[in-house]
Amino acid sequence: MPVKVSYRWIRDVAPGIGLDAAEAMERLALRGAPVEEWVDLAEGLKDVVIGRVLEAGPHPNADRLTLCRVAGPDGEVPVVCGAPVVRVGAYYPFAPVGAVLPGGFRIGKRKIRGSYSEGMLCSERELELGEDHAGIMLLEGQYEVGAPFAASVGLDDVRMDVEVTPNRGDLLSHVGVARELHPEGQAGIALPLFPGGRGELAASFARGAGEASSAGCRIHIEDPDLCSRYLGAVIRGVTIGPSPRWLADRLRAAGARPINNVVDATNYVMLELGQPLHAFDLEKLTDATIVVGRARPGESLVTLDDEPRAITPDMLMIRDAVQPVAIAGVMGGRDSEVSGQSTDILLECALFEPRQVRATRRALAMSTDASYRFERGVDPAAMEAAVLRAVSLILTTAGGTLDGEIIDAHPRPWAPPVVRLRPPRASHVLGVDFTPDAISKLLVPLGYAVEAAGADRLDVTVPGHRTYDTLREVDLIEEVARTHGYDAFPEVMSAARAGTVPDHPLFQLEDRLRGLLAANGISEAQTPALGPKEHGDVALLNPMSRDEGHLRRDRLPGLLTHVERNMSRGVRDVRLFEIGTAFALSGDGPPFESSRVAVVLTGGRTPPHWSSPAEPFDVHDVAGVLGLIAREACPDAAVVPAGGRADGPAGGRAQQLFVPGRCYELVSGAGEVVGWGGQVRPELLDLPRWAGAVVGGEVVLPAVPAPQPDVTARDLPDQPAVQRDMAFLVPAGTAAGEVLDTARRAAGRLLETGDVFDVYEGEDLPAGTRSVALRLRFRARGRTLTDREVDKTCRRVVRTVKEKTGVEPRR
Amino acid sequence: MLPAARGFVIEDLRRLEADALAEVRAARDPRELEEIRVRYLGRRDGLVSRCLRRLGGLSPEERPAAGAEANRVKGALDRALEERRAALSRDGASSEDEPDLTLPARTAWQGTIHPVTRAVDDIWSIFRSLGFTRARGPEVDTEWYNFVALNTPLDHPAADEQDTLYLAPGLLLRSHTSPVQIRTMEQYPPPIRIVAPGMVYRRDTYDATHTPAFAQIEGLVVDEGVTFVDFKATLAEFARRFWGPGTRVRFRPSFFPFTEPSAEVDVKRIIVREDGREEETDWIEIMGAGMVDPAVLDNVGYDSEQYTGWAFGMGPARVALLRHGVRDLRLFYENDMRFLGQFR
Repeated sequence: MPVKVSYRWIRDVAPGIGLDAAEAMERLALRGAPVEEWVDLAEGLKDVVIGRVLEAGPHPNADRLTLCRVAGPDGEVPVVCGAPVVRVGAYYPFAPVGAVLPGGFRIGKRKIRGSYSEGMLCSERELELGEDHAGIMLLEGQYEVGAPFAASVGLDDVRMDVEVTPNRGDLLSHVGVARELHPEGQAGIALPLFPGGRGELAASFARGAGEASSAGCRIHIEDPDLCSRYLGAVIRGVTIGPSPRWLADRLRAAGARPINNVVDATNYVMLELGQPLHAFDLEKLTDATIVVGRARPGESLVTLDDEPRAITPDMLMIRDAVQPVAIAGVMGGRDSEVSGQSTDILLECALFEPRQVRATRRALAMSTDASYRFERGVDPAAMEAAVLRAVSLILTTAGGTLDGEIIDAHPRPWAPPVVRLRPPRASHVLGVDFTPDAISKLLVPLGYAVEAAGADRLDVTVPGHRTYDTLREVDLIEEVARTHGYDAFPEVMSAARAGTVPDHPLFQLEDRLRGLLAANGISEAQTPALGPKEHGDVALLNPMSRDEGHLRRDRLPGLLTHVERNMSRGVRDVRLFEIGTAFALSGDGPPFESSRVAVVLTGGRTPPHWSSPAEPFDVHDVAGVLGLIAREACPDAAVVPAGGRADGPAGGRAQQLFVPGRCYELVSGAGEVVGWGGQVRPELLDLPRWAGAVVGGEVVLPAVPAPQPDVTARDLPDQPAVQRDMAFLVPAGTAAGEVLDTARRAAGRLLETGDVFDVYEGEDLPAGTRSVALRLRFRARGRTLTDREVDKTCRRVVRTVKEKTGVEPRR
Repeated sequence: MLPAARGFVIEDLRRLEADALAEVRAARDPRELEEIRVRYLGRRDGLVSRCLRRLGGLSPEERPAAGAEANRVKGALDRALEERRAALSRDGASSEDEPDLTLPARTAWQGTIHPVTRAVDDIWSIFRSLGFTRARGPEVDTEWYNFVALNTPLDHPAADEQDTLYLAPGLLLRSHTSPVQIRTMEQYPPPIRIVAPGMVYRRDTYDATHTPAFAQIEGLVVDEGVTFVDFKATLAEFARRFWGPGTRVRFRPSFFPFTEPSAEVDVKRIIVREDGREEETDWIEIMGAGMVDPAVLDNVGYDSEQYTGWAFGMGPARVALLRHGVRDLRLFYENDMRFLGQFR
């Protein structure tokens, strides 16, 4: 969450900054707090100028309208105004003809009930400066007619959304950001007095450890580990009402909404100094008592946003004598909130333990400006300044008086930590030599106190605003690097030693597979591993949606959704592969992860070409791709037609996914199913009518692939080969592969290659048979084969095939 | 038959040869060549064939010489026709038998590598040349590896920055590739010089710049005498090689619990516009990085006084987005063939 700051406010608390907004943003980026977004607050007001009403009288034709003469940038013009009161001689924001208001409304020359109006006197709401639209916005004081309105009233400002890293709670305030911008850092901070205020407030403190009291009010801290200090100020006789303009403008400039003078004062001080504050209606606190302690069993509280909160005994509460009145560091209760009728208030300025606030607000699933700051650490050294500033502001804007002393229950006084820093260690880590003196010059402006403590050793006292994140030597080394400026370090690459970690062989296998599949015309897809319940067994505890609640058990189903999407967009030729992790339940332990490669093919096997129609992909392509993958991933595995087996971790996949009789399994040497493929069951896909067959497959990659053995080259043959073709009449129900395997085995050692080169079905064949033609190539090493021995071998092949498979040769 | 007849046959053959060769040389297409062949060598009415028929009228003594001459002429004509035919087809003359070379070529499907993988590969190949190897770790991991060992206490707001997806209490989908740092250092002694590409998961909903699962690539260097200067130099070198030689590189202070000092690395690169003009981009954030926090080294049993190191993490999908001008991250995961097919 970025913090919103008004740059005008920043300059007001550190007058010597001397940077314009753009320069300030650049500097913040280089100090580790980049501005994510910024808004020129005067942008929408650039057409609005100062106008002065010279005459005002009743409109001749309308009771509720006023006809004025207004002095503007182009001289005097008539203006019809709908406001009940227009003061002659006063200054107002004036939008002349042609001006565009923040809402986009363009001012034109208009005729209203017969009178011309050349411009508009504006209300706060029309300028998006506030809610008031009953009256036009009267400007107190003297102004130059025609001058830009925003600059004249101090509204030319830039609101910056500063990105604050979780370690820098000190930047969650205007003073914090100003400290980074001012050349003198902390020393450049000078808080301005409030307009109309009575100057510096002098007040004394009624101090105690676990308990303190004053003005009839008692504060007691039960749990000092969770609340190390609680300051309370009793202010009596306040008048609750709207804040003065300057205060409301300031809050709005920093992105906050004005509420009433007391609440606004607490918000103002929080935004300025980073200390969250809370104002209680003192009359609502039973016995004017504050007790800081854990909730009692069975307690409940409705917070000031009207939400009933489920309070548990591990939460820290602010209680009065009988019940909880606020969740410490998170949000106040509705019933003790300051209201329009409040006259006496108790102002809380406390320090709560960051982890406690974080745990509570997480348990309640809420986050507030206060909890956000407490979680990241509030400056323990600035609490007194904060309470005094808030009291002073309330007295200025709401009246009343500070009753008695400021109550200070302070069981755990804060002592600034001292961190040891060895300058040689800083040089060792940073690669640039830093002398103790140089380090001191870099750290002191940030508020650190640096003291030499023997040779090569500095004792660094950490200021309150950095006490949460500067605890170790390395934290100071970072501060040195940061203030020295990362840009100021040279870029010199030093010689590096080779690391001890071998390049992981699974990455190498995945690389080879990607190259291979892409070279075969298949494009790589990526699918997030999060899918619906149907696609996974491993469930998430806190999914974002039902469709992303499970981790995928396989990769192919994800690819099928891409086929559907492509086809729904009219793309018919889809060839995709994907390499990713699949997750399987594994007892009570973490799920079992395996890397998978999945492939899906549909449409034409070749790009359309005028020479011949493209043939569609079929299951034989899947067998080929599975074989291609297997050669790289698991060379001992074989692609076989899927049997009915459903055993083994991957067993049954083929049966679930593919058309029966049109699927394969990849079976490893150890007999395990490590892959599956086939023609996808049409009922698993939502495809247009024109879609052809979709085929695909998936292979489980080994967790640590074996290294690829070197190829040992064979000599080329020096003898000619003899080739023989033979055809068999294979009846339905007999596998051609069986005939081929039998023939190969029967052909013996002289066989070099044997394959099916033609499959034919025709009317000239006996019903229910196919002609399967084999081409056998024979070669003997070191001698020329004779026709006689080849003929003899072929006769043996035919005989054996008939004996073993019952298949007759085709005559 | 008169002796002169023999002379006539041989003379006739030679005249026919000369005429035929001239015609062959002049022929402009295969059809013309075929006509020439038929006119001279045609079995029935070819001029050479007719001449040969006259051999029967010669004396037995004269016949062999004339026959040999006839065969020579036939052979010479055949060769000339063949050579001329080959020459014409080289020159691109067309006929029904000849291919029309202006027709579209026959091609094969081209597969493409996913743009996010390409980014990972290109990043990896630069680090490979700088002496890095690749390490990997599980995508489901424990709070210890994902947070605690990386110096991120679970009760610190830094653990919020990455809204994490859980499988069970303590068991989560890694929210960054940094757990691989811990697993690698537990398994191997220094020096360490690795990158670790992999998928990570966060509780983000899909939009133009976020997906709940995305690729990340981690880098880790640990050795004696590794400094912030070395860190800056190596990553700046990477950035210039990846984004182009004119690229400017900026290191900004930042915060990660497992590095200190920490930095965001920005680049300002030079892009060539359509009109050929070069233009410098705004600063673009490309990675988070920093010196390895000594607490991380202590957690894996390395001596943090002896060893120092640096680490980085970056998002290849974001890199691919910037590099290819892709407007919406979701395009990467829709896997439309027309989108993927662009990344040849």
